[in-house]
Amino acid sequence: MAVIAGRPTRGALLPPWLVAFSGTRGGSLAIFVARRVLWMIPVLFFVICITFVLMHLAPGSPWDKNGGRQLSQSVVNNLNIKYGLNKPLGVQFLYYLWNVAHFDFGLSYQYEGQTVYGLIASGLPYTATLGILAFLVIVPVGIGLGVLAALRQNSRVDYATMGFATVAASFPNFVVGALMVVLFSVLMYKWTGGSFYLPSADFGLDQHLIMPVITLALLPIAYTARLTRASTLEVIRQDFVRTAWAKGLSERLVVIKHILKNSLIPVVTTLGPTFAFLVTGSVITETIFNIPGIGRAFVTSIESYDYPMILGTTILFAFVIAVCNLVVDILYVFIDPRVRLT
Amino acid sequence: MHLGSRVRAVALATAGVLIVACGTSTSTSEAKASPDKQILRVNDGTEPNSYDPGQETYTYEAAVGRNVFEPLLTPKSDLSDVQPAAASSYDVSSDGLTYTFHIRTNAKWSDGQPLTGQDFVYGWQRLLNPALAAGYVDPFFDQSVAGGQNYSNVDPTDTAAVDSFIQGLGLSAPDDHTFKVQLQHPAAYFKWVATLWVGAPIRKDIVEKAAGGSFPSTDATKAEMWAQSKDTVIGNGPYKISEIVSKDHVTLVPNSNYWGGSGTLQQIILYFIADGNTAFSKYQTGALDQINVPIADVTVVRGDSTLSKQAHLLPELTVFWMTYNTKRAPLDNPDVRMAFSKAIDRDKLVNDVEHGTDKAIESFFPRGMNGYDDSDKAQSFDPTAAKALLQKAGVTADQLNKLKLLTRNSTGNKTLNQFIVDQWNTNLGLNMQTDIIDSKTVTRNIRKGDFDIYGPDGWGADYPDQQDWADIFTSTSCHGLNFGCPTLAGYDDLVQKADTETDQAQRNKDYAAAQKILIDQAAVGFIFQQYEYDIWKPYVHLVQSPFDDEYLPGDQNYHSGYILQH
Repeated sequence: MAVIAGRPTRGALLPPWLVAFSGTRGGSLAIFVARRVLWMIPVLFFVICITFVLMHLAPGSPWDKNGGRQLSQSVVNNLNIKYGLNKPLGVQFLYYLWNVAHFDFGLSYQYEGQTVYGLIASGLPYTATLGILAFLVIVPVGIGLGVLAALRQNSRVDYATMGFATVAASFPNFVVGALMVVLFSVLMYKWTGGSFYLPSADFGLDQHLIMPVITLALLPIAYTARLTRASTLEVIRQDFVRTAWAKGLSERLVVIKHILKNSLIPVVTTLGPTFAFLVTGSVITETIFNIPGIGRAFVTSIESYDYPMILGTTILFAFVIAVCNLVVDILYVFIDPRVRLT
Repeated sequence: MHLGSRVRAVALATAGVLIVACGTSTSTSEAKASPDKQILRVNDGTEPNSYDPGQETYTYEAAVGRNVFEPLLTPKSDLSDVQPAAASSYDVSSDGLTYTFHIRTNAKWSDGQPLTGQDFVYGWQRLLNPALAAGYVDPFFDQSVAGGQNYSNVDPTDTAAVDSFIQGLGLSAPDDHTFKVQLQHPAAYFKWVATLWVGAPIRKDIVEKAAGGSFPSTDATKAEMWAQSKDTVIGNGPYKISEIVSKDHVTLVPNSNYWGGSGTLQQIILYFIADGNTAFSKYQTGALDQINVPIADVTVVRGDSTLSKQAHLLPELTVFWMTYNTKRAPLDNPDVRMAFSKAIDRDKLVNDVEHGTDKAIESFFPRGMNGYDDSDKAQSFDPTAAKALLQKAGVTADQLNKLKLLTRNSTGNKTLNQFIVDQWNTNLGLNMQTDIIDSKTVTRNIRKGDFDIYGPDGWGADYPDQQDWADIFTSTSCHGLNFGCPTLAGYDDLVQKADTETDQAQRNKDYAAAQKILIDQAAVGFIFQQYEYDIWKPYVHLVQSPFDDEYLPGDQNYHSGYILQH
């Protein structure tokens, strides 16, 4: 899903007054951002096109029930008229584009009379809270473990860390989530007679968050730790690090200023999409812990052919991913001395 | 009733017996808990698509709709007849064409306004408005309300046409306390239609206020604005909505204006937990009082000393069968269909596949419902007889091996159908296969008649009258509900006669004869009746609802339910 727009050469497509402005560092950054933001429009258009076509290519209609008694044909006809599905596909598509251009994402088919915008707005805070918290765990823990393992390569610390990362990476999150529920909720409740346990599901800004955040964070932590270790090991062997050691700099300075700054470049690259996926929701985590987020809403909408909801969530995901990639590219400017915007 | 991928409902074990669920103790000496403890937390499974009762088509929606709105009548506990609800009584004209419902004079809406016959006229007109495209409208236009037969011919974008259709319906309120319905033809079962939650009254002034003024009958968006907020979902039922948390739960609290007085339960929290295992862990940590046990956890519950005592097996008015495409040779031959039907060991099936939580059935009308009769053993398991039937039909194994069992791509359906194909292969010496494809495509194919054998197909009662069932297999519903389209001599006439007959004894006789045709001609192969395996805490006291359309045990009787001291 990573959407990385191309980077045109300097000055291309720019009006003259902006070309002059592009000389300064801040100015060129602003132009870079503006250009990339504009690029999102064709990207999103493309995403809408593909989703729209694929959605309508799938067999069946939103009114087919998944078994048993079906709606009568007269009701189906009326529903098609009610939601404009009786019009030719091309016309439907143009209508949709026109509405999206006005930030109108339509009415959900699944939830009578509710707007897609409202449904997404009600689910996003839950999903984003979990995602941001998980991200705040992933970055320090993942990078910390990776650097630690690299600095103490082939020591017990290294083996333990990488052992943990391998195990964490090989456990699917539905297993991790379910196991934690059994252990920390069900069994703990039984053993302590209900006086100390973690709530097995639902959302709240307290101990409800512990298990979902761990479930969400475990795999990215493992991945980040392994990546950080590998890239740190590579940097450690570089000449400039040896020089830094030779200059007699303290370990802290060498690690933070010389090693980390360079070894984090690939890590930052992957953290962008990771963040995007975290805040747009994990179906499995949301299902296991019954969190009313948009990850689950997305999957339900696909199952029930709720076309406007599918499109709305897809546009949101594409947008978030595009923004995260943009942020990553901007971050390069600050951490990678080799990157120049112009 | 729509059988979704999962329909869970409750019916009565045997007609005439009221199940009273008091957990381990049935003594009435146990004291009720204090009002602040009168909270019932249950899992509704899925969020209702709408809080407009007319737009509710699934049982998890009706679970809310039935408590917030009250229809004219409700089923009696033993399913023998209907009993008064919003209407204190009703009269049927001597020709059987006019039903007059007398609305309770003390019935009120949750905002204190009196309930009137006009509210029912408005509610039913909305239900039958083609522009609103209510999913569950069929029982109201199909052979019932006069004028409803034109439902399919109205252009839902033409305001004048819609208005004239709605105004032309046989619905009227001669005075504030009377609601009159004219029928297309005599229909003894119409009293049951009046028990459906979709036939709830709706307040015109509330709908229009939420929409910001009156609006044309073709405006479906404005028509549903009132159902979006707890403040405007004003009902006439025993409970009202106090909180809606999208995707999470809905909370019901007593309606102090209800004619029958406030219920004891002070809060009913219906959670929308889609994953059965999540609900099970919540139950085990004391966060839910009542759940449906996921099939994978049935053995866990049975093996647990505490949980097994909280388990209850409740029958539903739901039957599953195998549908044979009778338009395809050799399934056009009743002997071949009967051979398949006789080659399934149903008891083994419910034990091996369903952990014994369902019960084998070889007839059409389910246990617990008027018309249940299992005396016809024509479809009983008998491999020898089944093989003989195939010989008699003169079909070869090669011909039969080409037939495929169309299967929806879900774990439950795959396991079940694999078992059935194995039964056919073992007992008839065949080598058949299942054809597993995604659910939507399966639906499309069965509607087009593009399959050999499809299952599990089934029906859950809308109301406990045989008419609701027998109509499925008439030739007019071919490709609608009747996917196999069998040609059954005499069946249509019998059913039509019974549907319009007013003498109940004669009706029972005709429906019994119709059922015999279905079984003997192997129109479909009946397999099992669905039961519901639930657990609830010993302190939950609910009189079990007799009817299958409930999503949760007792959800029609929350008004009389309570929590014991614990």
